[in-house]
Amino acid sequence: MTDEIISASPVSGKKVLGLFALAMINVAAVLSIRNFPSMAVYGWSCIGWYIIGAILFLIPISLAGAELATGWPQGGGVYAWVKQAFGEKGGFTALFCEWSNNLVWFPTVLSFIASTLAFALTPALANSPWYMFTVMMIAFWGTTAIAYFGEEVSTKFGNVGVILGSIIPAILIIILGVWWFGSGAAIVLPPLTLGAMVPAINFSTLPFFATIILLFAGMEMAGFHALETKNPQKDFPRAMALSAVIIVICTVLATLAIAVVIPADKLNLASGVMQAIQYFFAAAGMPWLVAPMAVLITLGGVVSLAAWLIGPAKGLGIVAEEGNMPPMFDRTNKYGAPVAVLVIQALIGSAISLLYVFLPSVNQAYWILSAMTVELLCIVYILVFASVIKLRYSQPDTPRPFRIPGGMPGIWIVGGLGLFGTAFAFIVGLMPPSYFATSGITYVGSVLLGTFILAVPPLVFLKCKKPGWLKNAGERR
Amino acid sequence: MTKWITLEHGLVVFLVVMFLIPCGLIILASEEASYHMVSGEPVREAANLTGITIASVKDTTWNLPGSTGGKTYVLTDTNGNSLTLETQAFDSADARDAAIRLYNSHPVGRGKPVGSLVVVGQHIVYATPATSPILEKITPLLKEKARSAGIAK
Repeated sequence: MTDEIISASPVSGKKVLGLFALAMINVAAVLSIRNFPSMAVYGWSCIGWYIIGAILFLIPISLAGAELATGWPQGGGVYAWVKQAFGEKGGFTALFCEWSNNLVWFPTVLSFIASTLAFALTPALANSPWYMFTVMMIAFWGTTAIAYFGEEVSTKFGNVGVILGSIIPAILIIILGVWWFGSGAAIVLPPLTLGAMVPAINFSTLPFFATIILLFAGMEMAGFHALETKNPQKDFPRAMALSAVIIVICTVLATLAIAVVIPADKLNLASGVMQAIQYFFAAAGMPWLVAPMAVLITLGGVVSLAAWLIGPAKGLGIVAEEGNMPPMFDRTNKYGAPVAVLVIQALIGSAISLLYVFLPSVNQAYWILSAMTVELLCIVYILVFASVIKLRYSQPDTPRPFRIPGGMPGIWIVGGLGLFGTAFAFIVGLMPPSYFATSGITYVGSVLLGTFILAVPPLVFLKCKKPGWLKNAGERR
Repeated sequence: MTKWITLEHGLVVFLVVMFLIPCGLIILASEEASYHMVSGEPVREAANLTGITIASVKDTTWNLPGSTGGKTYVLTDTNGNSLTLETQAFDSADARDAAIRLYNSHPVGRGKPVGSLVVVGQHIVYATPATSPILEKITPLLKEKARSAGIAK
C-alpha cells in the first residue's frame, strides 16, 4: 500500500531519511536558543513551566505524531493525517493553517537571523533597515534555494546546521553552566526547593501559559517527509522520542545554566538572546566566544527557518498533486522540490518582511499578527489531536506499528491533554495586552477575522476544484 | 486549457492577495509611532497622575546600539497588583526601531514575545506582564504624553 503510494508520487524523491535525519528535522524546527533567556528570567520556576509545556503539548504531540505517522505514512504530514479523520476539507485546512502561520512568522525569524549576525559583525548594523532587509532576503531566498535542490541537499544542510547551530551552542551553554556551578562562583538563584519550581499561574501569567504550550510546536515536522523516509513505520516513533529527549535536555539545562549565571534583572527581555549570551560569556571569562556563538546561533536560526519553510511547502505540493489546487502549485523540479509553492511563499514572505523592516514602530500591528499565528497554529494542533482520537474509532483496524499505549483511555488522555492545551492556548491567545487602545471586542474581532481570512483559502480551492487538476490528468505536463 | 490557465492564475492571485490584504491592512492601518523628544519621566508622571505607587526605581541601560539609558520601575496599586516597567531612550529613530524589531523577533517558541512594548517618542517602555490593570491605567497617559510632545515638536 505504502509502496504503491510512493511509486505513484512524482514528488517523492530518493528515500534518504533515516532515524537521525528525521529526528534532526524536529530538533531544527523546535530547539531554539532564543527561547532560553526569556525562560531563564523565571528562575527555578522555568522547570515548572517546561513541565506544563511537556504535559500539555510535547508528550501528546510526540505520541500522536508517532501513531499517525506510522499508521498513515503518506506524504503531506498533517494533511494526510487529518484528511483520514475529517476528509479533504479538514486536512487541507490543517495544512494551510500551518503554511499561512509560517508566512506571518517568517519575518520574525528572518529579523532574528539578521540581528544575530550583526552581533558577530558590528552590532550597530542592526540599526540599518537596509542591512536588515538585505540579510533577511539572502537568508530567505538562500534557504529557498537549498529547498530547491531537494531532500538530499536540504537534509545534509539540516543535519550539519542543527548540530552546529542549535545543539552545540546549547551544549556549550550547559557546560559553562556546570563549570560555573562547580567553580564555586556566585549562583544568582536562591536554593532549589520544590516550591521554587512551581510557576505562578494567575490572570497576569495566563498569556504566558498559552505561549508555553506552543513552546514545543514543530514536533510534527518530520511527518511531512514521510515519502523520503527509508522505514517510516520503524523510524518515526524512534525519531519522535530521540528528538523530544534532545530538545528537552538542551532546553531545560541550557535555560538553567543561564539562570544560575545571569541575574534576572540583567536578562532584559526587550533586548535579545545575544545580549544575554554576551553577559553569560563575559561572566565566564570567555568574551571571545561571543562572536563565534553569534555565527552559530545565526546558523541555528537559518536551519529552523529551513525546517518550517520546507515541511509545509512539501505538504502543499502533495495537496496540489492530489488535484486540490491548480496545477501551477504542484510543479516540481527534477529534485522533487515543489518549486511553485516555494517561490510563492518566498514572494509573500518577502513582501511581509518588507513591511516588518521598514515599518517597525507599528508595534500593535505585529502583536495582532503574532496573535494570528498563534491561533492558526492552534487550529492545526486541535485538528491533529482530534484526528488521532477519531481515527481510533473510524479506522480501528488500520495497522499502526506505534500505538499510544493504554487503549481507548490512553488515547483519550493523550489526545485530551493535547486538545485541552491547544484549545486553551487558542482562547487565551485572544486576550489583548493591556496597552491596546482599541476595545477588547475590536481586538478579538480583528484577530479572529485575520485568522479566518488566512485559513479560508482551502475552501475556495476545493470549491473551484477541477478534475483536470489531478496530477498527470491528460498528461498535462 | 485556456480556462484552466485563467482560473489557475486567478487562484494564485487570490492566494497572494488573501495574505497581503490582512497583513498589509493591519500594519498600514496601525498608528506609526513617530520619533521625537519626550521630556521628563513619562512613566513616573503617568503613575503619579493615576495614583499608582512606585515601589522602586533604578537606572538601567540596555546593551543595544544607540540606547542612552533609562529606568526600571516596579509599580504597585492598592489592589495588590504589581508591574515592572523598563524605559529606555534611543539616540535615533533607527536605533529605537531596531530595538522594536529585536523585541518582535524574540517570540517564545511559536508564540508571542514575553511582555509588551509601548513606544513613547524616543523611549521604549517595556512592561511585564503584558496583561496588567496597572498598564491599562497608565498606557493612555503615556500615549497622550507622546502625542502632545509630537504635536509640540
